[in-house]
Amino acid sequence: MTIDFYWRLPSHGCHGSLRDTAYDRGDWSPASPRNVAPGLDRNGEDDGFRYVDHLSAIAKAAESVGFIGGLIPSFPNTDDPWVISPLLARETKAFRFMIAFQPGFLNPVHAARMSASLQRATGGRTVFNIITGGGGPSQLWWGDSFSHDDRYGRTTEFLDVFKGVWGGEGFSYDGRFYQVRDGGLSPLLAREEIPEIWFSGSSDAALQSAAKHADYYLSWLEPFDQLTDKFARVKERTAALGGEQKCAVRVDLVARPTEEEAWAEVRAGFESLSPERRQQARGGPTDSIGAARQQALKPSEATRYDELIVAPNLWGGFSLLRGGPALGIVGSYEQCAARLDELIARGTDAFILAGTPHLEEAYRVGEEVLPLLGRSEGFLLQAAE
Amino acid sequence: MTIQTYWQLDVAEDAARSESGARRSGLFRDVRTPGLNRYDYYAQVAQAAAQTAFDGLFLPHRPQSDDSTIVTAAIAREVPRLMLVPEFPASAGSAVYAAKQAVSFQRQTRDRLGWAIANPADGATRARDGDHVPEEQLHARTEEFLTVARGVHAERPFDFSGEHFEVQGGGFQAPLKRVAFPKVFLQGESEEALDLSARTADVHLFAAAPLPALRNLVETLDTLAARAGRAVAFGVIQPVLARDDAEDARRDASRVGLPDTAIVGTYAEVAQRLADLAALGLRHFVLAAPSSLEEAYRIGQHVLPRFRALTERVAAAA
Repeated sequence: MTIDFYWRLPSHGCHGSLRDTAYDRGDWSPASPRNVAPGLDRNGEDDGFRYVDHLSAIAKAAESVGFIGGLIPSFPNTDDPWVISPLLARETKAFRFMIAFQPGFLNPVHAARMSASLQRATGGRTVFNIITGGGGPSQLWWGDSFSHDDRYGRTTEFLDVFKGVWGGEGFSYDGRFYQVRDGGLSPLLAREEIPEIWFSGSSDAALQSAAKHADYYLSWLEPFDQLTDKFARVKERTAALGGEQKCAVRVDLVARPTEEEAWAEVRAGFESLSPERRQQARGGPTDSIGAARQQALKPSEATRYDELIVAPNLWGGFSLLRGGPALGIVGSYEQCAARLDELIARGTDAFILAGTPHLEEAYRVGEEVLPLLGRSEGFLLQAAE
Repeated sequence: MTIQTYWQLDVAEDAARSESGARRSGLFRDVRTPGLNRYDYYAQVAQAAAQTAFDGLFLPHRPQSDDSTIVTAAIAREVPRLMLVPEFPASAGSAVYAAKQAVSFQRQTRDRLGWAIANPADGATRARDGDHVPEEQLHARTEEFLTVARGVHAERPFDFSGEHFEVQGGGFQAPLKRVAFPKVFLQGESEEALDLSARTADVHLFAAAPLPALRNLVETLDTLAARAGRAVAFGVIQPVLARDDAEDARRDASRVGLPDTAIVGTYAEVAQRLADLAALGLRHFVLAAPSSLEEAYRIGQHVLPRFRALTERVAAAA
């Protein structure tokens, strides 16, 4: 058995440390003398670098320590993964580009053509994280006014067409959202592999769509029992439909040589938070079920960092320190590996990991944590059963 | 006004070249790895254009071959100077998303992107492409696409509710909004196409045509644009074949089968014909020839310097 480990390319800027909420890598925060890759040198002149140069460094670090690739997130203020991936295609060797995108924003026939072209450019290193949108004002920002359940219906049809045209010429489709007559990719494009599809979304509408089209069902980290139930439900639903679903977890790590050092880092990050930042972390309106499950942790109401320790090595305050889910893993290298082992034993087939800062932590996690996997007591017991 | 020259990187040309599936082996020891692929050839053509002092690359939309926007990004970091103008259809997807991809690209490449929106395809092609916008609304859809894409780049909050696109509270924030929106290249000779360009194009690219026909089109569009209170720059997509010797040029032209509108001749003749086009007011020259790599060198080395000398003389005289 082997497990796929992905890293993340922060397409939204990167923090130099968890202790600092300013994005001092990239140009998302106002330029300061210590900023990396804002395109300006110390005299305010263009230094010739762009943020993609920093992302390139992270991708190369990740591939060199054995990560299979990296997730490239997509939000209103990120750089776009469909642009970042081909920009980096020819300077990376093994790194797989996991493109996060909302299917509603592209014509599926065009998306298939772009994907096959990217497969050709990379030697088959394209992976998709299909997201169907969190609803609320953000969807309208994107120019998408579809309701939650309609969006999942549209995602299903999108993937019907995407895979259909990939089957070659003579494909027709008559759906609610998409119609194609006598379409299909040319033989040159159709001979590429269809990218692996990772799917998110916790609602029933999402699970139906995932069961039909996803290779991996991707979840944020949730408390382990809750996650185990969720994965069991996903696998059961897919099996009922005659499919097979692998499950994956996306989780941030703070891994240090000792547990004390790891918690000291988290504590310092927590204590450096401004009241405004804490307020922002309460989040906006959303119809995402996953987001609501995470918000139930209420990290913004904690007064001490250790109120948010929900289980051994599990901390529920990451959303205070950076955008994204609340729960992450904190501990020594051995403990981090043991928690990942436990998740594997509970049905996790793949991971997207991340740490701050993304470049240095790619080396740390790749060199210190990944080699320890599969050695913890719980894992060996489970494997023996 | 300066002349901009673009080499056409046509992904469908020389289709077998560097295609790993089309490799032939023989007596030679073949050490080519699967990692060597078609994109290495695209990068070579791009570098040829850069090294022979073209100003940019134009990548036509070829539905049977690699997607022009993917190719553009894949080669962008290897040609740090060239303007890159991929052509794509307005049916590609959401205008907001297209704009977001455009600004991401601009951020990473120092504003080197141009947008060429393809002419509407015929009905059967559109049906194959999952594009079910009715024929009579195609130009209106392109116009909305551009209005929304430019709108979310220029304004925040941006609201729009049209036939084809809808946005509420849209608009990019810093740092995405700091870059320039790509220059928009439109095409077509129909009345509708010229009307649309008068209202929305930065550059209108005409198909190659005899001089009098191009003169008429330029005058018509110039009048329409002036009426809309705008200025549109003009350009042409011009097939060329140039050789040292006129006889060689004719012989090679007959071998590759060029369109009637191609300019075929000696280096000096081709340069003169291009200068005649420049005298009509054309400023953007997309030059194209089969065998993109070899011809880029030939045109870049022998025709462009003569062409520049001729147009600079005209400009100086004016």
